[in-house]
Parts: sequence; C-alpha cells; structure tokens
Amino acid sequence: MPLIIKIMLFSLLCSLPAWELVWRLLNDELGANPVEFLEHATGDWTIYFLLMTLTITPIQKVFKPNWNKWLFPMHVVRRVLGLSALAYALLHLATYLVFDMGLSLDDTITDIIERPFILIGMIALTLLVPLAVTSTAGWQRRLKQHWQTLHKAIYLLTFLGILHYALLVKADLLQPLIYLGLFGILMLFRIRIQR
Amino acid sequence: MRLTENHVTDENLYLNRRQFVKGMTATGLIGIPFIANALDFSKNQNYQEKLKLTDPEHALHYNNFYELGTSKEDPFRNADKLKTDGWQVVIEGECAKPQTFDMDDLLKLEQEERIYRFRCVEGWSMVVPWIGFPLSKLLSKVEPNSKAKYVEFISIEDPNLPGQRFRVLDWPYREGLRMDEAMHPLTFMATGIYGESLPNQNGAPIRLVVPWKYGFKSSKSIVKIRLVEKQPLSSWMVATPSEYGFYSNVNPNVSHPRWSQAKERPLGSFFKKKTLMFNGYENEVASLYKGMDLKKNF
Repeated sequence: MPLIIKIMLFSLLCSLPAWELVWRLLNDELGANPVEFLEHATGDWTIYFLLMTLTITPIQKVFKPNWNKWLFPMHVVRRVLGLSALAYALLHLATYLVFDMGLSLDDTITDIIERPFILIGMIALTLLVPLAVTSTAGWQRRLKQHWQTLHKAIYLLTFLGILHYALLVKADLLQPLIYLGLFGILMLFRIRIQR
Repeated sequence: MRLTENHVTDENLYLNRRQFVKGMTATGLIGIPFIANALDFSKNQNYQEKLKLTDPEHALHYNNFYELGTSKEDPFRNADKLKTDGWQVVIEGECAKPQTFDMDDLLKLEQEERIYRFRCVEGWSMVVPWIGFPLSKLLSKVEPNSKAKYVEFISIEDPNLPGQRFRVLDWPYREGLRMDEAMHPLTFMATGIYGESLPNQNGAPIRLVVPWKYGFKSSKSIVKIRLVEKQPLSSWMVATPSEYGFYSNVNPNVSHPRWSQAKERPLGSFFKKKTLMFNGYENEVASLYKGMDLKKNF
C-alpha cells in the first residue's frame, strides 16, 4: 500500500472520536448539557493523543519494532498522533469560544484573567501550535539540533493540559490523577533512557 | 358530550404528564419501582410562573448527588443503591417539641406543586415543577425557641452508597440556612417532581429546595434537621472554604473562581442566557440581605 494511503487511513482512524461527536450532535445524543459533553470529550481526546504521542519513543526503545513493516516510519506515526492532539485541542477551544463565550472577546479576556485554569489551557494550546507547524521533515532539517529542544515542549504542555483539567474539577480528582500518573510513567521512561 | 380524561384533568398538567411519560419511556425509566405512586397535590397558583419546563429526561438524568457518584450520570445509574424504606426525618435542637417524622406524616401535610427556577453553581440551570410543602410548616410543628438562629440539614450516610466510599466530601452532607431564610415562604421541602414522587437520583424521599441559592444548598435525602445557635459549616465550606461560603445566593455579579456567574445554560440548550439576581427572586428575598456585602458574604 502506498505510504500516503496508509497515512490517510491512520489519520481517519484518529478522527473517529470526532465523527462520533458529530453523530451524537446530529442525533441529539449529547445529553442534558451538550456543550459540557463536547468540551469534556474533546479535552479528554486531546490528552489521550498527547499521551499516545509520548508513548512512541518508549515503545521504540523497549521493543525496537520495525515501524516501516507494520505502518510507516516512527516519526510519521508520532506526527499524525501529535497533529491529532492539536485537532482535538482546536475543537475544544472552538466549542468553548462559540458556546461558552458566545464569541465575545471581552468575555474571553475576562475569563482568562479571572480563571487560572483557562489561562493554563490557553498556554498549553499555544505551545502546541509551533510544534505542529515544525513537525515536517523540512523544518526538522532547517532547525537541526534545535528541533529536538523545541519539541521537548510537549512535556511541559502535556503537564499543563492535565493541570488545566485538575483545576477545573470540583472535588473528585481521580481522573486527572490517572492522567498525571500515566504522564509520570512516560516521563520516568525518558529519565531512565537518558541514563 | 362524553367526558374523557382530558376534560377532567387540567390540560396543562395533562400535557406535562404526557411529555413526562414520553421522556420516561424513551429512557427506559418507566416501570422502575422507585418511581412510586403519583402524589396527591394541588397547584399553588402563586408559583405557576409561565416558564418553559426543563425536559424531565434531562432533570432526571443529569444530577449532582455525590453520595451516588461524582459524574452527572452516576446518580441515575446508582439510584437503586439508595434505600428509602422506613425513612424518618429527625428534627432536634433549639425547639420546644423535638420530633421524629415518618415519611407518611410528612406526606399528610398538604402537598402543592410549585414551578421554580433552579441554578447550579457550575453554570447550568433548569425549571422544574416540584411537589412538597414550605419548610416553615414543618419547622413550626417543633416550635423553635429564641436561640434557634440557624438551621442545619443533614443528609443520609450509608456505607452502601457508592459515592460515600470516597471522602470527596465530608460525609454526611451538611448544609445550613439562617432561620429567616428557612422560614421564608419560598423555602420548600420537595417530595415530588413532575407530578411523581421524587426519584432517588433527585434526592428521594425528601429534599430541600431554596430557589434563590445555588443548587448545592438544596440538600437531598435529608434525615436530620437541627435548630442551632451558631452558623453551621456546610460540607462544601469544609471542602473548599475559599470557594464556597455560607450564603451562596445566586448572584451574577460575584463570580466563582471557576465559573463566571453572569450567564447560565438551561439544560438541553447550546447557548447561555443572562443569570438574574437571586435567580429571579429578588423581589421576594432581597430584603433578607439588606445592608450585607454580598461579595464578602458569598
């Protein structure tokens, strides 16, 4: 199968959760608080894709799989996962801006100033954008050794994304703590690998 | 002309009931035994404001009732874990006649229906027809004395409740009102909703409804009411004192650290609307807080 077809199929797979939301939207299956449902779902999927992106390197180091044989080069797998994270983060942002803020710039600015979790979410999302832009082979070549340094920002922004969620929760921190635990395990791998 | 049921039943009520039954059938709720028998009640004409009622499917499936779980769907899913047989409500403290009431006693009080706005601190809202009686009617039975300055509400504590296995809140759930708030004609003890007795996920068999305050003040599944001299601590005040105060009046001008309170989203809708001062009950309750700084007394 040609590489481009494989990549398209993989991207399509990553977009399935979004299609599920579209299906729910069209069939009135978003529940009593449809906007909250969309925000939680897109937020969760952003974190899932960030965590999946971070599992690629540990898998590579531990199992040394032949990515080319099963899918396509490792860095392409990682790029599609990372770009999917950005896609869900943008859907998350759009839902918030349209339905929570009613597209009002004033309300959005006030919200960012008054609520630390909104500010942290915005920072995390902003950090993700340059990583997406420079995810191509061309940029990798141009940035040389800086590329890796730049892309280490994913560690920080994933942590901020989880913190954004934890600060939103009223009392039951179980789910954000599970995310934090998974993130911690993935980070431990990196410390051990470097030693 | 032959009389059919439609002619006898108030048409509005008839339509509401049809809509209710439709919602229940669609969600598979009908036939579950905890939706017990229909209640005997009258419509209080002073509280039949023409507001668009929330689809019962939403009001009965989207609940904050941490005793049954912290997600919005948990209370409905775990509703059968709450046992309401032989329910009693103890009223004690600063009063001449402390008493224990059986649910039967409480249901013998005249039951009326009132349509109230309900606003959650999280920024969503609904409009619900409650059935029940004013709290003042019940409190007057125990004859509060002059030391009774506050009322404390204590909800069920039961190790079988899935949400109480975790200390997300200081169990049992506690809430409080000032005596004049408790005796206010709007303050209501609900035993039913949408023409039926209260389903477990909505706080069966008896709950408080204080329509001008955020929803968490309206304690569910109450087992004890205490008349006390000092301002009681609520479970939410214990959990996060910086975020939850004693009064918790709906106030669009005072935002919560996580939610601006200026607007609200009615359940089922995508867009928000403006929140009213005291949730629209300003004329009735503003005098209770005359001279108080509501930013400090949040």
